[in-house]
Amino acid sequence: MNEIREQYETTQFIVVKYGDEQFGVDIKYVDNIVRMQRITRVPKVQSYIKGVINLRGEVIPVLSLRLKMGLEEDVITKATRIIIIKLESNECIGVLVDEVKEVVTLENAAIEKVGYDSKDPRANFVFGVGKEKDGLISLLDISGTFAEKEKEA
Amino acid sequence: MDVTQYLEIFLDETKEHLQSLSDQFMILEQEPDNMDTINEIFRSAHTLKGMAGTMGYKRLQALTHDMENVFSEVRNNTIKVDSQMVDLLFQVLDALEEYAENIQNTTEEGTNDNEHLIKALNDYLAGNTGAAAPAPAPVAEAAPAAAPAPAVSDADPAKEKWRDIKLGDTEKTVLAEAVKQGKKCYGVSVYVQESCILKAARAFLVFKALEDLGEIIVSVPSAQDIEDERFEFDFSMIVISEADAEAIKKAVLDVSEIEAAYVGEVEVEVPVEKAEVQVAQVEEAAKADNAAAVAKQDKKPAGKPIVNRTVRVDIEKLDSLMNLVSELIIAKNSLVSTSTQEGMLTNSVFTEQMEYLESVTTNLHESVMKVRMVPIESVVQKFPKMIRDLSKKLDKKMTLYMSGEETELDRTVVDEIGDPLMHLLRNSADHGLESAQVRKERGKPEMGSIFLDAYQEGNNVIIEVRDDGNGIDVEAVKAKAIARGAITAEQAENMSDKDIIGLLFLPSFSTAKQVTDVSGRGVGLDVVKSKIESLSGEVDVRTKLGEGSTFIIRLPLTLAIIQALMVEVGGEKYAISLGSIQTLEDIDPSEIEHVQAKEVINLRGTVIPLIRLNEVLDIESTKSPDENLLVIIVKKGDKLAGLVVDELMGQQEIVIKSLGKYINKTKIISGATILGDGEIALILDTNALL
Repeated sequence: MNEIREQYETTQFIVVKYGDEQFGVDIKYVDNIVRMQRITRVPKVQSYIKGVINLRGEVIPVLSLRLKMGLEEDVITKATRIIIIKLESNECIGVLVDEVKEVVTLENAAIEKVGYDSKDPRANFVFGVGKEKDGLISLLDISGTFAEKEKEA
Repeated sequence: MDVTQYLEIFLDETKEHLQSLSDQFMILEQEPDNMDTINEIFRSAHTLKGMAGTMGYKRLQALTHDMENVFSEVRNNTIKVDSQMVDLLFQVLDALEEYAENIQNTTEEGTNDNEHLIKALNDYLAGNTGAAAPAPAPVAEAAPAAAPAPAVSDADPAKEKWRDIKLGDTEKTVLAEAVKQGKKCYGVSVYVQESCILKAARAFLVFKALEDLGEIIVSVPSAQDIEDERFEFDFSMIVISEADAEAIKKAVLDVSEIEAAYVGEVEVEVPVEKAEVQVAQVEEAAKADNAAAVAKQDKKPAGKPIVNRTVRVDIEKLDSLMNLVSELIIAKNSLVSTSTQEGMLTNSVFTEQMEYLESVTTNLHESVMKVRMVPIESVVQKFPKMIRDLSKKLDKKMTLYMSGEETELDRTVVDEIGDPLMHLLRNSADHGLESAQVRKERGKPEMGSIFLDAYQEGNNVIIEVRDDGNGIDVEAVKAKAIARGAITAEQAENMSDKDIIGLLFLPSFSTAKQVTDVSGRGVGLDVVKSKIESLSGEVDVRTKLGEGSTFIIRLPLTLAIIQALMVEVGGEKYAISLGSIQTLEDIDPSEIEHVQAKEVINLRGTVIPLIRLNEVLDIESTKSPDENLLVIIVKKGDKLAGLVVDELMGQQEIVIKSLGKYINKTKIISGATILGDGEIALILDTNALL
């Protein structure tokens, strides 16, 4: 019984795009989605930190998941958004995405835990793949991606 | 010397320590082997003892001293913590709290010596584990001692507060005289209903009714205080009357909104000597009756009890208040700039209101800032007295010289800095200074000097505790460290003097040969260090054997708002704290010289290295190389440097915001601020550049 229930339990994901690839962000981590705005560069920090923005009086760091995952540099377009992620520690982080597409509801059964080849840098950021009518969505492992303390400069 | 002005601080701190003790005892009960907890209790007891000693509260001091002794042994593992001990500790805590409460109400600690507790503690020390038997006995005794039960055999003695009234000689004579004349003396305690609005009016009616029946000799609170409504819901008096007790009670109860009246006869015997004895007995009874009641009664004539007039506010609340204010200012600024664009300024009413809004936000801003900033004076002003007491206690001649008491620090820091400074001063007095005789032999003035200097330096506040005593004997420290097993002899060989001195900051390290109650258990320095570090400061020691030592505390100005100079580098805006800026210079590129391939300028005879901020910040300068350079001369201690920037944008008050934990700490950026137009400017920490 429990197993069946688990199968039908659902999670909502915000689907964002990097190029043609779709990524899903668990909606419980998303505090806000804002339009691209002026990012103030912070010198001498991790290369993927784009800088900081002013979000209603708070200074929030913004990072490029593209750079962090080893993809090519972000190209800022009209569709570019900053997703404000709120971590368990109540700390907010802005993440640049090329485009926010939609919100999808996935049954747990539709989520396949996949192990990327460990050489693929994406292996550290994605915990599974969701199957959906428009194709596959790589589901981002938010706590794994952002919670751990970064060592590289 | 009058210590009452420090009473508030003392009470605040005592309460904190008692709370911490209580918390730690709870932990101890669960984990009797938790060394951190044991150390924490030991330190709290030590600090409490010191404070109580300074304020002259002997009983409080004695009890904490014994508790400290026990924990000293626990720390050394010679005594094991068991549940009986924890029970005892909680009783000790109750007793301590009672002292604190008495002090709060009356400025006196009360007369309860709590001997049984002291004995029980000492039993632990003496018998070590054998304390199991003696412990329970005091437990039984403790109850009446901690909360003294009514000793008078009356029906409801607690309510008969007139028994607590102290009579002066005149009153006693008057009473004796009245008794001689066949009149009776009554004590009357009147309780007004708590819902009563016009308490003073009701009290007045009671007075009037009683005066019809006889004469009111004395009242508590005084008639004046009652008239001014300076009483809770009850007042007591001594009345001479020919009427009987029932009549008096009825007269009082006839006044509306009186809840209850307690009337009893005061036994005054005719011979004056005897009357005094009687009254004295009444007083005795009152004392034994309830220390707190005595306290109340003592204090009431003088006005309100000494309650803390300060309100302690959680610094987080201040932070959020500060954030709200800064957001308000940002909102106001953008409102101003929008209205300018929209041409609203032609509307004079609008302009007026806008100006009003601006002045209000500015004032609000200043007020919030002031709330956070306090001069360290409130903390350091108790030190001269402490040094004087120490001088007597240690039999050494010494004087404390203080400067910079007006230096302001953020409230959080000031609150925390008291203990470490006290420890350092005690340390200087006890270990640093030599005895008068030794000083004489060494050709020093007999009077030892201790200096406490505070000053602001750039983004830091420096507090130095300096003495002209013996200095730190590095060899002695080394020997001690080896003996203690903290380091091996080989390690010691390879350690610099500085490293050796650093050992002093390890827990339970003391070079004093004798354990005194001043310092000398090695509690001091490790507490100092951990405290200062928790405030993200640093402690440094400079010492010269035979000449004295200096402890330097460097604290960051963790202010929420600073005055800053806004500059532009490569089109980006940065803020530099005005505190670290010395001058602004306009330098011709031809004036730049090179020393060891580094750029320097010669400014009025001083050679100053140049730092091109655009290079440090990895950005292209917007200026061409042959233009004159804008150089900001910044200082850190004695060091100077010239920062080259592109543009100056003026001075501004900025709100410091953290960059958050997620960004790797970059030393040169100490935070960010939001400008009036919503843009973010980063704050440069020039200290990291020098």
